[in-house]
Amino acid sequence: MTEAELSLFLEASVRLGIPLALAALGETISERSGVINIGLEGSIIAGALGGALGALAFGSAGLGVLTGAAAGMLVAAVFAAFAVGLGADQIITGTAVTLGGLGMTGAVYQARFGATGTELSLPTLQALPLPFLERIPLVGSALFAQAPTAYVAYVLAPMLWYWLFRTPAGLELRAVGEAPDAAKAAGVRVRRVRFLATLVGGVLAGVAGAHLALAHAGTFAENMSAGKGFIAIAVVVLGRWNPLLVLGAALFFGAASALQFFLQALGFDLPYQLFLALPYLLTLAALGGWVGRARAPAALAIPWESE
Amino acid sequence: MAHPFPTRGARTAALVALTVAAATACGGGDAPEAEPTLRVALLTSGPVSDAGWYAGAYEGLMRIEQQFGAQVSHQQTATPAEFDEAFIAYATSGYDLIFAHGNEYQDAAIRAGERFPELTIVVSGGGRVSGNVAPLIFRLEEGSYLAGMAAAAMTESGIVGMVGGVEIPPARGTFVAFEAGARSVDPDIEVLEVFTGDWNDVAAAKEATVAQLSRGADVVIHNLDAASFAVFQAVREARAAGRTTWAVGMNSDQNDVAPDVIIGSAVIRIADAFVETVRMWQAGEVGGAAIYASTRQDVIDFVFNPELLDRVPPEIVQRVSEARDMIRAGTLDVPRIEFVEGEAGVR
Repeated sequence: MTEAELSLFLEASVRLGIPLALAALGETISERSGVINIGLEGSIIAGALGGALGALAFGSAGLGVLTGAAAGMLVAAVFAAFAVGLGADQIITGTAVTLGGLGMTGAVYQARFGATGTELSLPTLQALPLPFLERIPLVGSALFAQAPTAYVAYVLAPMLWYWLFRTPAGLELRAVGEAPDAAKAAGVRVRRVRFLATLVGGVLAGVAGAHLALAHAGTFAENMSAGKGFIAIAVVVLGRWNPLLVLGAALFFGAASALQFFLQALGFDLPYQLFLALPYLLTLAALGGWVGRARAPAALAIPWESE
Repeated sequence: MAHPFPTRGARTAALVALTVAAATACGGGDAPEAEPTLRVALLTSGPVSDAGWYAGAYEGLMRIEQQFGAQVSHQQTATPAEFDEAFIAYATSGYDLIFAHGNEYQDAAIRAGERFPELTIVVSGGGRVSGNVAPLIFRLEEGSYLAGMAAAAMTESGIVGMVGGVEIPPARGTFVAFEAGARSVDPDIEVLEVFTGDWNDVAAAKEATVAQLSRGADVVIHNLDAASFAVFQAVREARAAGRTTWAVGMNSDQNDVAPDVIIGSAVIRIADAFVETVRMWQAGEVGGAAIYASTRQDVIDFVFNPELLDRVPPEIVQRVSEARDMIRAGTLDVPRIEFVEGEAGVR
């Protein structure tokens, strides 16, 4: 690869990694509170449709991101009502929310734009190059000539890290995810913390969906989330529930898909499935303890009942 | 094919027979003399809002409803496990004819065909044949070949790209033909090929297209479903950045989906083929062999985008038209990938 090709490859890696990073950062927060939200995919696709409809209604991609975030949060609220409020099984609830989200968005889209679909002309989120930073050799344009939603991910990762590991509120959240009974004894409102953490996850998944529609595709298409919610959950594992590592892991997943397209475009006749599988193999390695030690929050996926 | 669990199979068959008998009994009680209504179902494994492959099938179903007064139903199945369930559900509720719109249904269709001998299943792009299961083969290679000729005439860089979803034989076939068509105009043309592994992943399709555009391609054809929108968007963005780039539509007439960038579309008039298949079915001619739909029946074609026709050299429009006539007449052989049982070299 020449330097120009390398920098194009890095740009593609970041573009593909950003929606994963946003969704995975949100999922990190909810998982740290003990809630594994398999319904993330539902929030992403709702965010994509919400973002597209909002951008059309207000004629602004920026406001579209906000409506996308709201749609993602709404879906997460449905999940939280059952999984946190009623203490229902998180995996089953999440699966239902994902399937429901994919179905509902399809129904709304077809009702609004016709059953056979069309490409929407949406106001798109333009790349916003940051002065000076974008001129850093090699990685500058990849990291700092992206849509504004990318910068949200860069800023959020260290902020969430600080909040989780250096503030009393972050400690409370982690306590809820590790030992909810002990947290309750210490006066933490377990259910409230889990509910809010899940909503935060939904907001960020909604932003990820809006990014897909407004910064990437320029339109909505049914099923356009294409499993990114599930990939984001794997990203959280690979990033070991640490926001900074999660951001890195998301970019790594992005790089693996970008590599696939680049090598194919360069004419290498390799099975594309190989590249799609690569990051998952690493995730398995992380779970198996071969890439550092990965330990999930002790109370993850366990419904909590106050006695 | 021997059933691995004969007893259970027999019991299920008996149960199903009972259900069917009960259903017929009820229906018969209501209107004993009336001509039975034709019941036609459509199965897709992707959304019909893709303005392409699935949308065309859905239009076909709507036409069947209008023209034959048929009772119609559509179901979107997500996983292979649901394929069998969907066939069983339609068969047991008295459907006569099921259009399973994709190569992925072929094995489930054979299984359902064995269990329900009264049912007829038509599998679009399928490769397996039985007494009541017929593949409906669209010779999209022919339209794709013509698209390749147009692409070769439009490219300035001498590089054209193809972005596909999942690498299945019908999709590969269109790309092989596209390349051959392009080479018939310019033997030195470079053709890039990427498969993303997903028909609907817009982010993947976008980056795959961007990668090809950055390798110098300036005309890109796709074989995708809903993700095709991202190909058009990538081509549009490259144009906004000052390049002259074009996209080619596929599966349906997509010229009005992105009229600013699509130079033309390799189309399957899926609705026409479906309506014709129902006519054949009524005449008892469906089953036991593949049904072929090609440029000869006008089901397959390449259609230039009328809004951009002034940008196309008139001599290429002429050459494409001549090539179409030659394909129809059988004097021009379009390369294809054979995948139907019984075809030359396929077992």
